[in-house]
Amino acid sequence: MNALEIRTYGFIPISAETGREIKLAMQRLWLTGRILPVGARLLVRHTFRSEEKKPLEVIYAFGLPRDAALRRFRITGEGFSVSSDLKTIDKAAEAYEKGIEDGHLAAMARQYQDGVVNLSVGNIRPGEEVSVLLEVLAGVEAHDDGLRFRFPFTLAPSYHSRARMAEVRPGVGEIELPGDEFGDVILPQFASDASSLHGVGFDLTVAMPVEIKEISSPSHPVRTVSGSAGRSRLSLAAARDVPDRDLVIDVRTADSKGAVLAGTDTQGKGRFAVLVPSASFGEAAEEARRIVFVLDRSGSMNGAPITQARKALEACLAALSAEDRFGIVAFNDTTEAFKGDLVAADMKNREKAAAFLDKIQARSGTELAAALQAAAKIFARESGDIMLLTDGQVFGVDSIIDGARSTGLSVHCLGIGSAGQDHFLTRLARETGGVNRSVTPRERVDTAAVELFASIGRPVASDLEVKVEGFKDGSVAPAPPNRVFAGTPLLLFGETSGQGEGRLRIEWSEQRKNRRLELPLAVGPGGEGETIRLLQGARLITDLEGQVEAVEGQGKRAEKGGIRMLENLSRTYGLASRAMALVAVVEQKGDRPGDLPVTRVVPVGMPQDVGFGAYFGMGIDAMALSGGGLLRETLSRHICYDAAMPEPRESRRRMIGKSFFGEVRGDLDALKKTTELDKGSSRRQGAGERVDLQTELVALAARIQPDGGMPGETEEERVLASVLAVLQFLAEGHSTRSGAFRKHVQRLVAFLEAAKLQNDVVREVVKRARDGNPVPGDWSKKKADPSLWADLEQALQFRGQQP
Amino acid sequence: MTKEWTLRELAAESGVAERTIRFYISKGILDPPLRGGRGAAYGRDHLARLREIRNLQARGLMLADIARLPEPHLAESAPTDTLPAPAAWESYAVADDVIVLVRSESAPWRARRIRSALGEFASRIQKNQQEGDDNERA
Repeated sequence: MNALEIRTYGFIPISAETGREIKLAMQRLWLTGRILPVGARLLVRHTFRSEEKKPLEVIYAFGLPRDAALRRFRITGEGFSVSSDLKTIDKAAEAYEKGIEDGHLAAMARQYQDGVVNLSVGNIRPGEEVSVLLEVLAGVEAHDDGLRFRFPFTLAPSYHSRARMAEVRPGVGEIELPGDEFGDVILPQFASDASSLHGVGFDLTVAMPVEIKEISSPSHPVRTVSGSAGRSRLSLAAARDVPDRDLVIDVRTADSKGAVLAGTDTQGKGRFAVLVPSASFGEAAEEARRIVFVLDRSGSMNGAPITQARKALEACLAALSAEDRFGIVAFNDTTEAFKGDLVAADMKNREKAAAFLDKIQARSGTELAAALQAAAKIFARESGDIMLLTDGQVFGVDSIIDGARSTGLSVHCLGIGSAGQDHFLTRLARETGGVNRSVTPRERVDTAAVELFASIGRPVASDLEVKVEGFKDGSVAPAPPNRVFAGTPLLLFGETSGQGEGRLRIEWSEQRKNRRLELPLAVGPGGEGETIRLLQGARLITDLEGQVEAVEGQGKRAEKGGIRMLENLSRTYGLASRAMALVAVVEQKGDRPGDLPVTRVVPVGMPQDVGFGAYFGMGIDAMALSGGGLLRETLSRHICYDAAMPEPRESRRRMIGKSFFGEVRGDLDALKKTTELDKGSSRRQGAGERVDLQTELVALAARIQPDGGMPGETEEERVLASVLAVLQFLAEGHSTRSGAFRKHVQRLVAFLEAAKLQNDVVREVVKRARDGNPVPGDWSKKKADPSLWADLEQALQFRGQQP
Repeated sequence: MTKEWTLRELAAESGVAERTIRFYISKGILDPPLRGGRGAAYGRDHLARLREIRNLQARGLMLADIARLPEPHLAESAPTDTLPAPAAWESYAVADDVIVLVRSESAPWRARRIRSALGEFASRIQKNQQEGDDNERA
């Protein structure tokens, strides 16, 4: 795209400081590809253009999606189109540098730890436009009734105890990581205003094996076009967008039958991917729970996320019975535990916990590893679950995962953020036997937390074993997870010796009883075989990378055996990893050896909803100092040197003040936009009412007593209030079997069944709660007065018959 | 004869990747090569500067901070026995008339404790200031 075309679209990035047009080294990023129920095969086109007088080297840093690997790229320009080669890190870097030295156009895509990739393109000639089309294999967040797909258009600035971060120009922040741990990775500049950066967009196909009920995006305006059954195409509704958040796409299917995808790869080998809905394993029996909630209160959680997370935890506590025990750990760069050990979920402890949560303010850094260790300490030597609510914005995740794994506890993660923590939290959850869900700050964090909590009680299946039968050879890799939780399907990848028909035999234990499930498996020619092979490879590489520490450039620390395994896996599947990179060199006429290119790093936008001041300028340290109070306005921080004059204090203060106000404004905007988005998702109620209803449901759930009933002064009042609560949950789509508040409905129903007061209304409401049969109405507004029984009787008999 | 290196040799000698060296040159914290073109060469000053950058980074400085330090050749011409080595400090203006300087190379745990203590100090000053204002008004 040339400058004239940019003007045609009405997009001319202008520098706010100089008023002149900004020369963007990267002009555009465009995402295409296919989203399948078991993963996505993507093509990302990066368009670079040099406006420099000298040869240009561009470095674009981006984060990988979950379970992702780079396959190859093609670099294209006027008169050339060259594909990448897969080489070991050293060989790739050598080829790239030799290409630069010889004056050739060279490109390299190298993955570092934490899923950060540097795409370097060197020796772009003045005025030249070059595009790099990168193929990426990525996982998806599979649900029983669909999936959530995330693709990072920006990289989240993240916390590390040894990272250096500062506002280098007004509204522009930089982070530098310690080289001894992170190698030569280069991070982008983070711009508080992304409007003048490169444009992003997408055009994707969704291919599901069953009818698609709904496709939506909580992150971007989308245009969808339905195709044949199970296929849809969606694209960005606007001409362009800015790189300040992940693309998030939700796909809901008409039923939850799962999927079996199979075919042959390019070598003729059979490949399959199977999704088994959790409902296929039956329902989990109830048992006393031990759970510690770990709440991230770092500065980047400030605003709506921390407010909603606090309320969500109160609602989760209300779903616990008096036999259950719980703990709470809040953390930023320090950890604070509610109690030193697990406590009974009785009313007294719940009230104390609510008071503890009320005092939590979001500020400072993210010492997640220490928080998980503190949670493990609360469990002493007992087993149990950790439910982690975090934005996951941390660097150095391998050691965090190692530490979490060593506790032997399952970590279930709710990733809260508009950018890029999915790669880490997916690994953290999987490697500890937990599940992972993600939510953007503009969705309901509280409802998502309650939904996750309802899923992670006792697993629906444990100790799984899977066998491939009916083929000469057949296997499943990676090994099946140890446990399956409600709402999250079992995903299996595997291979067979070739085409044919056979079956998958899945065996598991539940309540010490052995159970079995058989699924037919038909492997025909072609199909999705090659794509499945690549998705399987990406997943295997992601799993293995977690076991190989410090690969990049640190031979003394690297485990050579592990690196060799990673290299072999990369070669087997033809995918890049932390041990293998992609490189291409383009030899053209007129190349001039020895010219040193000028290096430019592509800036990205601060993730939407993360205040710039949470990381830069009036950042972490000053926020910690101020305690979130009045001192924020009077504190400033800068670095000066013995041997140099410090910067003028006044100018620095203005700069910091600006970033601080930006942060405050950002928070208010986030809250406002959350409300607006919820208004947009309103179905039956008016816009504002829908928001209030969600908030009211969380508050209603939080009032449930340890015996499962609603509070009241008499037995009759409590039963009546519980009946009304069940009706309210039912009216909003929550029954004993489905909906985020199903655990709460289950507890209310158990209370009603055990109550001395039994009548037709109570019995009918219990039946409806089990059947998921709602009675429309605003039940929570009604007063639990005995005179209401007659009205309820009438409503249940007549209004309940309405379609 | 003055020792000279190619970019690759300089990278090997300094332990800093070639791409990173180009990045430093573009940022203006490292001088361009002694000669351009095919015979591009780097000298001892380049190597010394790369080591200096690494040392300064280890002491908590960012590249943007290093770029603001005096030019290396100026530092070299100054009498080295009287010029102290540069050190990074963090300045906390805890009130309009009070600034506290803290060495920035502190270990993270130590820095946290210092910041915590400073927070208490700043709160107390704020409170005193408020009380003083109230008394004055009364």
